[in-house]
Amino acid sequence: MAIARRAQLVSMVILATAIYASAEVRKEFRFTVGPRSVISITNQYGPISVKPGVGTQVIVTAVLHSDQVEVDHTQSGNRVDILSHLLSQTDADTGRVDYEVSVPADASVAMRSSTGLLHAEGLHGDVTLEGSQANVEVRDIANAHVHVRTLNGSVSLNNIRNGHVEVTSVGGDVVLNAVNGPLVQVNSTSGKIHYEGDFGSSGEYMLTSHSGDIEASAPTDASFDVTARSVRGKVENDFLLEPKHTPFVVRAGSAFAGTMNKAASSVRLFSFSGKIHLKKR
Amino acid sequence: MNCTEFQEILPEVFEAGRTAEQAAHLKSCPRCSGLLADLDLIAREARQLQELAEPSPRVWNSIEIELRREGVIHELPGGPVVAPRARSWNLGAWLAPVAALVLVAFAIGVYQRGWLSPQSAPQLTATAPAQISNPQPAKNQPANNEDQQLLAAVASRSPAMRAQYASNLQNVNAYIRDAEESAQADPNDEEAQQIVMDAYEQRAAVYEMALDRSLP
Repeated sequence: MAIARRAQLVSMVILATAIYASAEVRKEFRFTVGPRSVISITNQYGPISVKPGVGTQVIVTAVLHSDQVEVDHTQSGNRVDILSHLLSQTDADTGRVDYEVSVPADASVAMRSSTGLLHAEGLHGDVTLEGSQANVEVRDIANAHVHVRTLNGSVSLNNIRNGHVEVTSVGGDVVLNAVNGPLVQVNSTSGKIHYEGDFGSSGEYMLTSHSGDIEASAPTDASFDVTARSVRGKVENDFLLEPKHTPFVVRAGSAFAGTMNKAASSVRLFSFSGKIHLKKR
Repeated sequence: MNCTEFQEILPEVFEAGRTAEQAAHLKSCPRCSGLLADLDLIAREARQLQELAEPSPRVWNSIEIELRREGVIHELPGGPVVAPRARSWNLGAWLAPVAALVLVAFAIGVYQRGWLSPQSAPQLTATAPAQISNPQPAKNQPANNEDQQLLAAVASRSPAMRAQYASNLQNVNAYIRDAEESAQADPNDEEAQQIVMDAYEQRAAVYEMALDRSLP
């Protein structure tokens, strides 16, 4: 009797899983593009992952979680637009579409989603990622602009070389690991900012927050000049810096400034009430 | 000429001027002369209002609908015409055109203040991006009028998101206040000036995300 009941339960679970699985629809779209193509993906709910493919093909794989959403796609020459189109009153479950996109490595990609993870890797065209609650992950990008904007989503950038990086996050934490280039700028209101790297060989690094803590970690052979100040928070410095002139009055505990080695890069750390810590790695 | 006779021909008196007999009645009757003076004043004020600001076709359309409903005008094959005057003209018959004139004044006022609903909802979408370049958060207020409008727009689309946007706006407004105070304390501090722009950029980001129709 117990065995029969268990078998019945298992079959019900299998049936429910099958019904749920059947509600998902997988679609694939292919586009042939030329060099330096421009790809835009706008998704209301769900993740977008973009990776480099082979040749001149853009391949979009979309998993639609209900029949209340469809995928609109257009190609105009070298430009491809993908858009999740909500057909009726939907929510984050029924309106969800999961995208996996492969593009030529030199493509410029713009992706937007409110909730899903936004992920880009292995490209050397410009990437723009935007989302209100979406978490953002970018890795292995070279010689390109990386623009990120989130409201509360976290941002993680890894191994961005020679990048022109601009991150705006109102409430999300921002983590930069091995990120360098002529411009690395992070601006946050309440999110924490964490930088780990060597500040490159020349460039401007500006990490600014209102209330979020800022922590930067660099090796002792890093070459930079730094100014750091927190209006109401504390500052800490682990490096032995050469003093330098500053346009503002340096108050111990709330600001410091100086140079390290040949001062190849400029580093500015600023917060109103967050704590700032320049750490030796 | 008595008051009833005068009021029957009042439109002609108003439009074309008065005869000696009508003038004599007006001289002797404060009620009719007062009525004529009121109508004259309303007509003058209406003309001045029109000179001040030409309302949108939407306003005229609303008035036309109201006048049709009142039966003052009706559609003929040749276009809308004024309805024929009632044979027994009395003071009550003036209510419709007077009401129409009052409606004009009210409609112009409403139009100038942007209160016309439901058109007021899209107005936020249209004006807010222009205001992003210099949105001024009021001091000592958790959220100013612009913020309240933005939050209302967010709540209408996604009620669950309202609290998050309210919190973010409060934070960015605090950021702007601190940045401005810091920049004012030392106008020669270039970094402080840059921080002001950074703070406003944060606010702009909140507004743009909230108003972005492609995202929930």
